[in-house]
Amino acid sequence: MDTLLSAEERDFAQQMRQFYRTEIPEELRFKVATGQELTKDDMVTSQQILNKHGYAVPNWPVEWGGQDWTPVQRHIWLEEMQLACVPQPLPFNVSMVGPVIATFGSQELKERFLPATANIDIWWSQGFSEPNAGSDLASLKTSAVRDGDKYIVNGQKTWTTLGQYGDWMFNLVRTDPNVKKQAGISFLLIDMKSPGVTVRPIQLIDGGHEVNEVFFDNVEVPVENLVGEENKGWTYAKFLLGNERTGIARIGGSKVNLARAKAYAAVTKTANGTLLNDPLFSARLTKIEAELTALEMTQLRILSTQAAGSDKPDPRSSVLKLKGSQLQEDISELLVDVLGPQGLDFVSDRVQGQGLSDLPHGAVDALPAYFNTRKVTIYGGSSEVQRGIISKALLGL
Amino acid sequence: MDLELNDIQQELASTLNKYLRSEYDAAKREEILRSDEGISREKWQEFAEMGLLGLAIPESYGGADMTFNEVAVVAEAFGRSLVLEPFLATAVLGTNAVLLAGSEEQKQAILPGVAEGQTFLALAAFEPGQRYEVTTPATQATAGADGAFTLTGEKTNVLGGDVADHFIVTASQNGELGLYLVAADAEGLTRVAQRQADGLGSANLKLDNVAAQRLDAADAHSVLSEVIDLGNAAIMAEAVGVAEASLTMTAEYLKTREQFGAPIGANQALQHRAADLYAELEYARSMALYSRLAVTSEVAGAEKDRHRDVIAAKIVLDRAARNISQESIQMHGGIGMTMEYPIGHYAKRLTVMTRTFDDADSLTAELAALGGLIEPQAADLS
Repeated sequence: MDTLLSAEERDFAQQMRQFYRTEIPEELRFKVATGQELTKDDMVTSQQILNKHGYAVPNWPVEWGGQDWTPVQRHIWLEEMQLACVPQPLPFNVSMVGPVIATFGSQELKERFLPATANIDIWWSQGFSEPNAGSDLASLKTSAVRDGDKYIVNGQKTWTTLGQYGDWMFNLVRTDPNVKKQAGISFLLIDMKSPGVTVRPIQLIDGGHEVNEVFFDNVEVPVENLVGEENKGWTYAKFLLGNERTGIARIGGSKVNLARAKAYAAVTKTANGTLLNDPLFSARLTKIEAELTALEMTQLRILSTQAAGSDKPDPRSSVLKLKGSQLQEDISELLVDVLGPQGLDFVSDRVQGQGLSDLPHGAVDALPAYFNTRKVTIYGGSSEVQRGIISKALLGL
Repeated sequence: MDLELNDIQQELASTLNKYLRSEYDAAKREEILRSDEGISREKWQEFAEMGLLGLAIPESYGGADMTFNEVAVVAEAFGRSLVLEPFLATAVLGTNAVLLAGSEEQKQAILPGVAEGQTFLALAAFEPGQRYEVTTPATQATAGADGAFTLTGEKTNVLGGDVADHFIVTASQNGELGLYLVAADAEGLTRVAQRQADGLGSANLKLDNVAAQRLDAADAHSVLSEVIDLGNAAIMAEAVGVAEASLTMTAEYLKTREQFGAPIGANQALQHRAADLYAELEYARSMALYSRLAVTSEVAGAEKDRHRDVIAAKIVLDRAARNISQESIQMHGGIGMTMEYPIGHYAKRLTVMTRTFDDADSLTAELAALGGLIEPQAADLS
């Protein structure tokens, strides 16, 4: 795809490539490349290096550490980061709460939170979903009742990703129960160390602890922690979710994972040679490769439209999410099938010791990753929600 | 990065779409389809006057000296209106074969007539029982005393061959692939006109010691490969037009056809399938663009990736075309099965055009054999 870029864009890509591969520790990138779980420290280390060089929050306003980049440059920044297996900046900080505070927050909130958010001195958690508010997010019930100069918050959030590390939480809360559901929601920042906040882990089918439930029991929150205006939270949430959708196709990451499955297949023996030469396996792999190219071209076409100055809502963004998430799942499944029976146990190390041979490469992460990746067609607007958005644009019914 | 059409291409697309909407609507097309030749020579003349037939031909041979990018704009517009005249056969396949392999004299003899709309060309590459294999023809070329050749053999599925004035014929001479120029009125040539399911004309040919000139300005293998890549890129551009019109028509039907007291498009089962078709159409557009970039790339070294990129694009496009054509009939219900209603004509065009040079399975096998698009790489394998 390099040939599609202008000379300046190619130079920029080269500069990013060089930066990621020299400044981000090899050990961290190896962990990402081989599907190992990152610790909190790993993620903080990576984001702080990026932030030191001005590469953590390029999507923010320049005065708060952002870069005045074109849509194509932002694409290159992310694509090269994924190709270099750099741990990505925490999305809750960088693409969610940061832009909301920068766009709708008071000057006090900006000064208080934005520098620390960019440098991940504050770890943010997302408080949107509730047990009864998933795709129908606006039906959320967690309440914030004004009491003098504070809100009293009661209720429950769920699917709080990495909430176990969270310092602060940005929440959608109901501040007016007597109006249309979207019109009574506010965007409130809550210190997770406040009395009455309880974080409970949820174990997932991949065996890991990635998400949590968060309970609020008469939690007192100062009114200055309200972002923007009371009852305008739905507008800010839509803005936030719109930001989330760009880059959600994870094309660079899919390329790395596909290259990895292919490399393992090439060293996996079958009765007639290697798995990479097996006709059915290679047909399946090849179709996925071609489709990944189609996804990338679609992303580039959208970027090209944006670069030409259009900022209209574009149902093609939903195509990116719909197709990109499906491809991520297909690739994770491909890796499981490369491993065969030796990929079916949950193990913590491929070295068995005691005179037993090592397990194949990928044996630790392939199956957990397969189960974990089921989430990508669910979060950020499920595939069904995306189809709904597309058909609305197509049919208007 | 700029993937948008330039001003000239946008102007070409908008002028042509407007012309086709008024001058090549379903009724006019039907009339042409039912005519003896199945094409309109009058329309072809109008295409020539609009400069559509010599777009990629150099000025020195009477063309507009533009590129395949403009040819693709025309193909897409023709797809939208299901144009029946042999644009692919003449302006893409035949023209490029002569351009790439012809001598100066041969180009002067053939190409000005193409640009003026006086000459139809056709590529005769397929043979009975050989499916899509074109590099080892059984048709034999024999050298005469004076540098002339004679051809003997049989050709099948010659697109545009029913009206062609000149054929570009593949044949073997001492086991070596060659491209030969044959006049349609040459002695010993028997032509049996055929009609494809999509209404386009073709022909089967019998050659019995037919006089031919060799087109030997370049290696026949590389010319044939490039001509077919260009043909596939044009098919993809055209398929985008056909598929877009199919989806527009299907969406309109979902909105207006009422059953159980409501538009059938109110059913989520149909809405979500329509959304999937929209996604497929976007993939088709992306890959038509990808193939167009591949065949027009002037970046050094890009040529070796050209064929690989075109077939990768076609794998995706074939699936999109199949889904859109099949689903558009299904969503129309019974009316989609009829010849009276246009959707079936679009489905037939998609079905036939995507199988012109290859099918999805053979492309997948070929791309796999070429090593695919991504280098195998794992950080923990040295």
